Amino acid sequence: MKTWLRVSLATIAGLALGAGAAWTMAGKGFGRADIVNGPWTTSLSFGTSETDASTRASVARRGLLALPSTETIYWQASVDSDGNPLDGNCTYAMTGTALDARWWSITFYDKAGYLVANPANIWSFSGAAITDAEKAAWRVTLGPNRPATGHWLPSKKGKGFDLTLRLYNPGAAFRAAPATSALPVIKRETCA
Amino acid sequence: MNRFILPAAAFLGATLVGYLGGQVLIPRVIMAIATKGIAARTGINTMAHGKLATPENQPIVRPSPDLAYSTCAFDLSQGPVRINVVPVAGRYSSLSIFDARTDVAFVRNDIQAGGKPYSITLARDGQSVPAGSETVRLKYDRGIALIRLLLANPAEIGALDGVRQQSGCAVVK
Repeated sequence: MKTWLRVSLATIAGLALGAGAAWTMAGKGFGRADIVNGPWTTSLSFGTSETDASTRASVARRGLLALPSTETIYWQASVDSDGNPLDGNCTYAMTGTALDARWWSITFYDKAGYLVANPANIWSFSGAAITDAEKAAWRVTLGPNRPATGHWLPSKKGKGFDLTLRLYNPGAAFRAAPATSALPVIKRETCA
Repeated sequence: MNRFILPAAAFLGATLVGYLGGQVLIPRVIMAIATKGIAARTGINTMAHGKLATPENQPIVRPSPDLAYSTCAFDLSQGPVRINVVPVAGRYSSLSIFDARTDVAFVRNDIQAGGKPYSITLARDGQSVPAGSETVRLKYDRGIALIRLLLANPAEIGALDGVRQQSGCAVVK
């Protein structure tokens, strides 16, 4: 085989491999989500022209049309507070206090980033659901079976999942210290 | 020696170019697909007031089930585009303008708008716009204008739909 032909084939193969790797990496996370708070991760550069190419590609694949952090902070969790992957065969206690934002919600997504059908037609849990008495300490059960009492965010048995916590119009104190501000704790209780 | 060194160097160099180029192209390609998809359903430079996101209705990845989305796929090659927004009293809502690279060129929520209706004009550099119009200059022709409206529960959409239908998007004549 002639040298030019080998070089051409190697170039084509390299381009394909590089582009494929970029696509795969963009689908795995949210680029340089450099702020970590317990199981939650985020970046304050989502949606801005200052963001890096890796983060922009990841957000395009996994959270297209995300708002900048001045308007909304998007937190992602794919593990519980002990670092174990979120598992649809397990039941979790998600606990916290009222969050420092005009409005907030936690949404259940499959690993591809889509809502999952469940008989209760519940896909998210929001601050609007907690009472004044619960603002100091709320709890929601995250699992495939409805609890006897209390709030419930259904999961899908047998499937891994992710959570997205949206904080719309976060408070100034929260924006100043997102890595240390209070966020929900996700504790595994039982597994089937 | 060149038999192996040149192809190996080309492979490594092309892999790096493919990786970095892929990161640049992915947002543009995904945004182009999303813009075309919206335009195919509702037309270009027209505001569409979508149904609430459910497992059966997820036009984009990671939709919020708590928000009613209105979208306008715009194309400034046909001239500047005006976006009219009518907030719902006492409800979180926002208008955001995404360019062809997925970057946010403009965002305003209902509080920043004082709870009142407002208009902005989208235009490329050099395009003339009506005097006195609040103008957002964009680097690319195409993009998506997105209005988010928060619902306390899905049943509210019936009562609030009349207000959100007043928001619109059209080429400036």
